[in-house]
Amino acid sequence: MNARAARLFLGLGIFALSFLPAGLLRAQALPATLTGTVTGPSKALIANATVSVKNVATNQSVATKTNTSGAYTVPNLAPGDYEISVSADGFNPLTIRATLSAGARHTADLELTPTISLSSLGFSTGEVKGNPKEQALLNKRSHMLQIHQKLGLITFFPMVASLAAATQAGGRHNTGSVGRDVHMALGSATAGLYFATAYYAMFAPKVPGVESRGPIRFHKAMAWIHGPGMILTPILGAMADSQASQGERLHGIAKYHGQVAIVTAVAYGLALLSETKPNWIPGLGHHVAALLPFHRHEAILSASNHAKTAAGVSATAQAGKAN
Amino acid sequence: MKREKAVSLSFTFLTVMLLAIPAVASGQSVWVLKQSTLTYHVTHPLHEVAGLSHAARGKGECQAGVCNFLIAVPVKSFASGDTNRDLHMLQIVRGAQFPMVVVRGQMPEAELKSATIHADFQIQFSGQTAQFKQVLFHVADHGNQIRLTGTIPATLTDFKIPAPELLFVPIKNEIPVMVDMTWEEQK
Repeated sequence: MNARAARLFLGLGIFALSFLPAGLLRAQALPATLTGTVTGPSKALIANATVSVKNVATNQSVATKTNTSGAYTVPNLAPGDYEISVSADGFNPLTIRATLSAGARHTADLELTPTISLSSLGFSTGEVKGNPKEQALLNKRSHMLQIHQKLGLITFFPMVASLAAATQAGGRHNTGSVGRDVHMALGSATAGLYFATAYYAMFAPKVPGVESRGPIRFHKAMAWIHGPGMILTPILGAMADSQASQGERLHGIAKYHGQVAIVTAVAYGLALLSETKPNWIPGLGHHVAALLPFHRHEAILSASNHAKTAAGVSATAQAGKAN
Repeated sequence: MKREKAVSLSFTFLTVMLLAIPAVASGQSVWVLKQSTLTYHVTHPLHEVAGLSHAARGKGECQAGVCNFLIAVPVKSFASGDTNRDLHMLQIVRGAQFPMVVVRGQMPEAELKSATIHADFQIQFSGQTAQFKQVLFHVADHGNQIRLTGTIPATLTDFKIPAPELLFVPIKNEIPVMVDMTWEEQK
């Protein structure tokens, strides 16, 4: 009898339990609905605001837009914790958290504050508005100066080679001296490249209202030495070649061809260095520092914060970057 | 007559209280940027360059525990000590077309009173917008002023800026921006 009763209870138990998961499933499947209104100051309705609803547990999110009445509805949400974010042009984004329960209709009205405008910081329209004409001028200027920079570097090699070849170009010989021919060929190549380089610097558009400051001043000052030098050197060279070819000893201004060439090359080299390694030029570091009102501040900053910056960058670069 | 006066007085008091409540409840505070030094760093195998600006302006509004802030600085205001380089920088970042660097962000108001803050913000620069999350700043509290220092880990690729070259060699992609700002609460 007891065994029969036990079987009966067991059967009833299994029967009852068979309904339990279905009931639970039904309860889990009951979705929640989120609804609300997005407003601005003085309860002004905000249309077309983006409302994003993210399930904290699953990280899944759903987005919708508010209608012309500022209202939004997000149906079929699983019960749980959510982050509700809203953004709209001209307003600060807002994020709130909410817990949605099964089958319920929740209301979350969101009030946005307007973003701070640039004009409220005191910037004029002219300051914040782009100027495509000025950008075009800057583009042309940079393009020409980049060619100037590259040609300038290329020019340096035949210039040095020409100076080296000068050691074989001396002496009272008739034309046909190989050393002199090589020297003259390299000199001609240098002059050609030099004047092409100069063209791109001289005809690059100037930006109105900008005064030269820093190492560029030294770079430009050197041009007053190597520019005339590059005109004079080939002239003196031609005179020297003519005198040597006639078996004459170099005389008059022609005998200064070598010295002028060396001064020109040194000034040219310094001009190159001033734009690449200004600290390598004795005195220029100090000269540049005098031109920089913030140099001392910068030095203090780099001394005290260099290590901190490096550490800060490496620490935040990994975690700090969102995009 | 006395009763009418008392009722009128009560009504006035109630009106004043009702008008005052939203202002107190909103707990809004406004902060203004008083001083700033923003320094970008550029690294090239031949040398390092730092460009400074003191021309940033900013405003912050704190409400309901969240502070929204806006900082703007003209691109032209950054000076590296060489006008030629600054003009090239201006060209390459399209500074004439997009003349302002604009930073908009949010942070919890409570962090203003702590030693460090972690700010989320977006930077509009060179026609692009880059998002930065949880950037660390150190806070020094000086009464109604706070000083924030930190480094923004910006890169050229964040703003789709082509790396400028010197003698055929491009600069590094990293252009960290050191920030030193003093904010003052407006009464």
